[in-house]
Amino acid sequence: MTALRYEARLALAIAAKDARAEMRGRQAVVSTLFFAAVVLLLFGFALGPDRARLAEAAPGLLWLALVFAGVLAVSRLHLIETDDGALEQLALYPVPRRAIYAGKALAGLAVMAVLGLVVLGAVAVLFGTSIGSAIVPLLATLMLGVVGIAAVGTFYAGLTVRLRAREVMLPLLMLPILAPLLLGAVKATAAALAGDPFGELGAWLQLLVAFDVIMLTAGLATYGYLLEDG
Amino acid sequence: MPRTTIYVSPRSLGSHDQRPPAVVTTDLARLFAGRPALAGVSLTVEPGRAIALLGPNGAGKTTLLRILSTALRPSYGSGQVDGLDLGRDVDAIRPRIAYLSHATGLYDDLTARENLAFAATMLATPHAEVRVDRALEDVGLIGRRRDLVRTFSAGMRKRLALARILLGEASLVLLDEPMAALDDEAMSLVQQLLGAWREVGVTVLVAAHSIERLESHLDGRVIMERGLVTAVAGNGVTSHAPAPLVAGHPLTVTR
Repeated sequence: MTALRYEARLALAIAAKDARAEMRGRQAVVSTLFFAAVVLLLFGFALGPDRARLAEAAPGLLWLALVFAGVLAVSRLHLIETDDGALEQLALYPVPRRAIYAGKALAGLAVMAVLGLVVLGAVAVLFGTSIGSAIVPLLATLMLGVVGIAAVGTFYAGLTVRLRAREVMLPLLMLPILAPLLLGAVKATAAALAGDPFGELGAWLQLLVAFDVIMLTAGLATYGYLLEDG
Repeated sequence: MPRTTIYVSPRSLGSHDQRPPAVVTTDLARLFAGRPALAGVSLTVEPGRAIALLGPNGAGKTTLLRILSTALRPSYGSGQVDGLDLGRDVDAIRPRIAYLSHATGLYDDLTARENLAFAATMLATPHAEVRVDRALEDVGLIGRRRDLVRTFSAGMRKRLALARILLGEASLVLLDEPMAALDDEAMSLVQQLLGAWREVGVTVLVAAHSIERLESHLDGRVIMERGLVTAVAGNGVTSHAPAPLVAGHPLTVTR
């Protein structure tokens, strides 16, 4: 078995373990879906009943809901590791650290992908946004966006999981780093929904690809240090 | 009910004469918030021996085991496991270590079998399915294999964590208070495990307050107090002069 296949197998085992625990506890999916729904409804009420205004704000609201809920999702997935010393045990296994990062990020990506599809549907219904004709670029934007959130979130959740103030520290650390992703994702979503009249969609998607590659590379290279004693 | 014959690592460890010392520490110290939990421990443990670390709470037993497990880095001093350096060779040391801490490292929302299957994947255990079932049988939990760990008692969790050790091929087993929360039946499991590990040449360090029930399975004893080794007895372990002060560092030990 090549080293890459071995590491992929380890990452899948970690992601499957997280998914299985999540299916039983349903802490990440239920809490994030509820949170995303509340964010969308509250912003909707704040903007008022003007359909045109709501449709214009829809891309921003979609990604704000996803980013806020994403912070919660990656945090919940790392809390699985606080069961009775599980994180220390995971760190002591003789496995490449990047496989642990990849596994945790994969689990985060799976939760975020489900969340993204549900929130996209909810935005379409609540804000009267027509997504049918733009579904392919929207799904591409969604996928690139949630990969970035999972990549950043996994790293920072690993950094804060042992802290008592992790619920406060995680968004404080994660949200500023996600600013370029939020910008690119909102602009790409708006361009996709408008039929890309100015031909800018490709550039925004490239920004998201670059963000994902940088964050995944940084996470794979540095996550191992978070597991070690200082 | 645990089995009478326990299946331990099949890896050949070679004769004791050809192996380097299982553990060597030189002035090993660890500070927490400036206070020494371990204050300069120098020990040599021969391979294939079962050694007890004894002492009251705060003696430094857990800190020593955690450093040897690679979970903690020493603040000062150095150490080797199987001739490999604890600072430089962490990746090479980890496959050789099995560590059972106070915490069991189990996932509450996975079943007993799922917990061990996950560990088997992480440890690259050959014939994982067979070995997982065998380990569950060995610790007497095969009948509860489909139950979530969150429904287990403290003693059952400890037995399952011991089963996880059986999936690896460690040459050094570190047990921190393995008898805590165990009933008589589970105590005999720990005794059987010690016997089985000794038989195949695995070195075992057991931290405990009392070793009454394990006495006959141990070669040597290390008595610790306030982060230092105060006495060594029996075979297989030697201690150099304690070094309570680490040269060049403001390490204060109150004795």
